[in-house]
Amino acid sequence: MEKREVPLTALKDGETGIVISVKTGHGRGRGRRRGMWGFEKRLMDMGLTPGTKVTVVKSAPFHGPLEILVRGSRLALGRGMAERIFVEIER
Amino acid sequence: MAKKKLLIALAGNANVGKSVIFNHLTGLHQHIGNWPGKTVEKAEGTLHFKGYTIDIIDLPGIYSLSTYSLEELISRKYIAVEKPDVVINVVDASVLERNLYFTLQLMELETPMVIALNQMDMAKRKGIQIDVEKLEKLLGIPVIPTVAIKGVGIFQLLEKAVEVVEKGQAAKYVSVKYGEEVEERIAKLTKMVEEVQFWYPPRYVAIKLLEGDEEIEREIKKLNPQIVSTAKKLASEIEKLHGHSCSTVITSERYEIAGCIAREAQKLVSPIKPKLGESLHNITTHKIMGYPIMAFVLLLIFYSIFTFGGYLSDLLNNLFYGWEPNFLSLFGTEIVGKLVWSVLEGIIAGVTIALPYIVPFYIILYFLEDSGYLSRIAFLMDNVMHKMGLHGKAFIPLILGYGCNVPACLGCRIMETQRERLLAAFATTLVPCAARTVIILGLVGKYLGIQWALTLYIFDLAVIFILGRLAFKALPGEPTALIMEMSDYRWPHIKTVLKQTWFRLTEFIKIAFPLIIVGSLAIKLAEILGLLEPIAMMLSPITVAWLGLPAITGITLIFGVLRKELTLVMLATLFGTTNFAEILSPIQMVVFTLVAMFYIPCIATIAALTKEFGWKKALYITIFEIIFAIGLGGIAFRILTLLTF
Repeated sequence: MEKREVPLTALKDGETGIVISVKTGHGRGRGRRRGMWGFEKRLMDMGLTPGTKVTVVKSAPFHGPLEILVRGSRLALGRGMAERIFVEIER
Repeated sequence: MAKKKLLIALAGNANVGKSVIFNHLTGLHQHIGNWPGKTVEKAEGTLHFKGYTIDIIDLPGIYSLSTYSLEELISRKYIAVEKPDVVINVVDASVLERNLYFTLQLMELETPMVIALNQMDMAKRKGIQIDVEKLEKLLGIPVIPTVAIKGVGIFQLLEKAVEVVEKGQAAKYVSVKYGEEVEERIAKLTKMVEEVQFWYPPRYVAIKLLEGDEEIEREIKKLNPQIVSTAKKLASEIEKLHGHSCSTVITSERYEIAGCIAREAQKLVSPIKPKLGESLHNITTHKIMGYPIMAFVLLLIFYSIFTFGGYLSDLLNNLFYGWEPNFLSLFGTEIVGKLVWSVLEGIIAGVTIALPYIVPFYIILYFLEDSGYLSRIAFLMDNVMHKMGLHGKAFIPLILGYGCNVPACLGCRIMETQRERLLAAFATTLVPCAARTVIILGLVGKYLGIQWALTLYIFDLAVIFILGRLAFKALPGEPTALIMEMSDYRWPHIKTVLKQTWFRLTEFIKIAFPLIIVGSLAIKLAEILGLLEPIAMMLSPITVAWLGLPAITGITLIFGVLRKELTLVMLATLFGTTNFAEILSPIQMVVFTLVAMFYIPCIATIAALTKEFGWKKALYITIFEIIFAIGLGGIAFRILTLLTF
């Protein structure tokens, strides 16, 4: 079995991964700035903390948002956000 | 004996049935307004219970108590500063873990609380059994199971809340304990914070400082900057130890605690009912099927509302205008009579929009929202809205705009940031509301054919999209992405739906009516003083030379500021005919309709914009739309003339 770290958007429908990290981009210094802090904090608050299991149910067509299952609830997650969440999948 | 007063706050995630509980508790004694100076809703109500007069505040539905959104900031400040006697935390039993995450944060605010474990029926259906006593013990907080939609447990909840106030409870709390490395640093920081006076509890401040909370950092810096720098140092230590940012570490641990409690208190068995809601969810969010279903639902809504609304609107109009002769004979046809009548006309205008269009529209929308369908629409439309710098949720006020722009502007409150609210509101003012639909269908649709009317609608969508996109590029700031819970489908609580509609209606009346009436008066006065003709002449370089319209349309466009379909009504009055084909060429019809669609938000919408964003921004939007519409109309006139030459 091979472990890989990929963005959440790389998961196929029905696949499950474990959150490794959220990449806020722009390197350390800028990443801590307002918008990014909010972005990361928001994801964490919705339960996407490192170590959490996430299942991608499906994604809306034309690069639309993802429907994910996390901590027993169903979330709609914009693609831009999903691209920054890195997960580990077992295949 | 003076009555004893109590203050109870309702807090919890979105879609957990908080407002249903609020309605059960307060009945008709409610007041919905805004938080002072904020575009966030504040619902208050009063009830009498066991000799107490109890004020109830329904705090916004949120997932956290950080500074991500205005709602979160307002809620936590309210709890800390106003210090309600007890907070009722409404928890969705079917999504226990996520809800407990919020509960833990309330506990950190050290407020007295009671938990309403709501939607027990849904949890049961999903195969989740919750041991209430165990949950109580794990949290150290009284837990009352409720099924708010059926009124189950509401009385017990209130009883328990009062009991908590009478006997006190906060001390019995099980306190939220993080991992050792974190706890150590929290303790160190708490000691420092204890020395300054602040409205949040010291331990809470310490935790939030470690999480990098901006509001608290700013405030504490004023009191003692050293605390903040120590917090930064401690936070980076934690970051080094764990390899994640300190705020992530703390949030993770908090979720871990919530998860542990949830797992201990609940037992998963196989679901009882066949999952009707599940299949409904799958089909309404389906990659292919989702869109036709959405289109069908929306078209059905529009069709039924416009058929029903148009009928009712005509009925009301005829009824009211039937009174005109009686009225004028009473007050005379002199200036006074005319002025009083114009006031009444303003009221009539408001009523014939509000009752037939806004009320049914709201009922249906709230029904769809409470059932959960609107969040599915937001999911489907996220992609498109992103092109305008907005996310899926913004589609909802846009739909509202087709009924009336006023509630649509107010509906932009569902967006998270002020920037997005403004962007969404700007877009909604371009949506052809019921009044504009009257013009489009009554002029272009009737005389040129429905295909031309449809073309105009599609053109309007394109305009909304393009201008929305430009505004998004022009306004500084980063777009936020969609992150939204799609809670399970359920049958809405009809009383709550009706009550929400009722409050929206009163809100509309409060905002729109005064201005419509004043506007009617002003125009009537201008008419009596014989100012309309000179104004039309003054406008003729624009109306005649640039737009190619008859000069008299200048007058009708002035009336249209009050209420857009008046442009058409006045056209008929001034020309003395309702056969517009006699007075306007096909090109003029198209140009006139185009201008009428965009030329200005009506006066009520301007009022709504002012209320939400201040008069400056309202003025900018208004001026922009005037210039835009005139420019567009003139260009359309020239292109159409060329094409048909």
